[in-house]
Amino acid sequence: MDCNETRRLLDADLDGELDLVTHLELEQHTRSCAACQALVEGARERAIALRERLPRHGAPAALRARILRSLPKERPAAPVAWPAWRVAGLAACVAFALVGAYNWGGERALSQGLYSEAVAEHVRSLQAGHLTDVLSTDQHTVKPWFAGKIDFAPPVVDLAAQGFPLVGGRLDYIGGKPAAALVFHRGHHAVNLFVWRSGDTPLERRTVEEFGYRAEAWSGSGLNYMAVSEIPLADLQQFTAAYRERTR
Amino acid sequence: MGRFAIEYPARGGTIPFPDSFVDFVQPGNNATAKGVVPLSTMSDPDTRPSFEHTTLPHLDAAYNLARWLLRNDHDAEDAVQDAYLRAQKAFGSFRGGDGRPWILTIVRNVCYTVLRRSRRGLPTEAFDDSLHGSPDLHADANAAAWREARAERLEEAMARLPAEFSEVIVLHELEGLSYREIAQVADVPIGTVMSRLARARQKLQAGLTGAPTKDSPHGL
Repeated sequence: MDCNETRRLLDADLDGELDLVTHLELEQHTRSCAACQALVEGARERAIALRERLPRHGAPAALRARILRSLPKERPAAPVAWPAWRVAGLAACVAFALVGAYNWGGERALSQGLYSEAVAEHVRSLQAGHLTDVLSTDQHTVKPWFAGKIDFAPPVVDLAAQGFPLVGGRLDYIGGKPAAALVFHRGHHAVNLFVWRSGDTPLERRTVEEFGYRAEAWSGSGLNYMAVSEIPLADLQQFTAAYRERTR
Repeated sequence: MGRFAIEYPARGGTIPFPDSFVDFVQPGNNATAKGVVPLSTMSDPDTRPSFEHTTLPHLDAAYNLARWLLRNDHDAEDAVQDAYLRAQKAFGSFRGGDGRPWILTIVRNVCYTVLRRSRRGLPTEAFDDSLHGSPDLHADANAAAWREARAERLEEAMARLPAEFSEVIVLHELEGLSYREIAQVADVPIGTVMSRLARARQKLQAGLTGAPTKDSPHGL
């Protein structure tokens, strides 16, 4: 890549819109070209200045309240869904209480531990700047990368069309077991999806919120899944629904 | 200890869907068109997102966009409330996926209607799309100018931008929308998003350094 092309593409690169190959070519050029490096530096300072020094106006509480009040009280789905939910919910609560009483600190504590661990791994991956071992938006690059590193094949799909572009993958450990961490972006946020062999401890489908992070877990076809991010719960659920749909 | 919100898969309930949607997924009609959430997801009470879940997480983004476009609290609040009412009525046509570009599109349309009525801040120049991709669009970012830019100076520079330029800055730099999402919100091709973003950044930098741009200045 030459200076002209670098100059033309560097904004798109910082905006996170270039494919991996072009991104790497650009990076290689700027490493050896001081002039282009200065341009990248300028664009970076610009992004920081705009993001940090322009006010982001949050919705006033009164507006939020007005909009909430304007929403219909009755949910269209509720009359049909309620009885099933009630029965299932009550039965599950009783079962849960019994299990809890019977096996206090058992399975529940285990999965609670897994959540905390997954959240910790997520936070660490953001802080250490070590989000991905393989950086690629191409599912056909990410999937084979795991072959030989772990003894199962995590389903890898790109969810760019659903608003969650795949950015890469990483090797991680959850509950002492090797896990594939698939990394997706949501705007400036990352979603880590941990996938590992369930063995004889499949995860119940469950959503957990902790310290501003959200995790959703489920299990299927011998694999445990846990999606972790700081994005709003509704967004995370959109992500897990889209992933499950695409990998069925 | 974290709070547990346990989900139980709800089965056995069905939700009536509009006829048009049912028609779309008649057997034999292999309906997994792009961008359409398949029926299995849409009809599952567990995953079918409600209006609140789809739009309320984006209320701050909606207000931020309206506040930057209309430039005062009162108008922005009215516009956002109006947009949420419209969105609620139009929710039947929401096809699933990401609610953020969807609600922002409606907010933007309401804001533009307000601007048009008051003849403020609307595009004052015919945008030349042939400029897209020319080196001029990628004028060098001046690291020192941006590093030293004071917040007030930046806000002044933003205030001088016509709506079509300030909105791409808000959507991309502040809200983190991708080119594709901005294209959806502003209803323009991705190439236009890129050229507007480049020009907006260039104009802002010119505003900071006091250098004149090629374009005539835009007053309020």
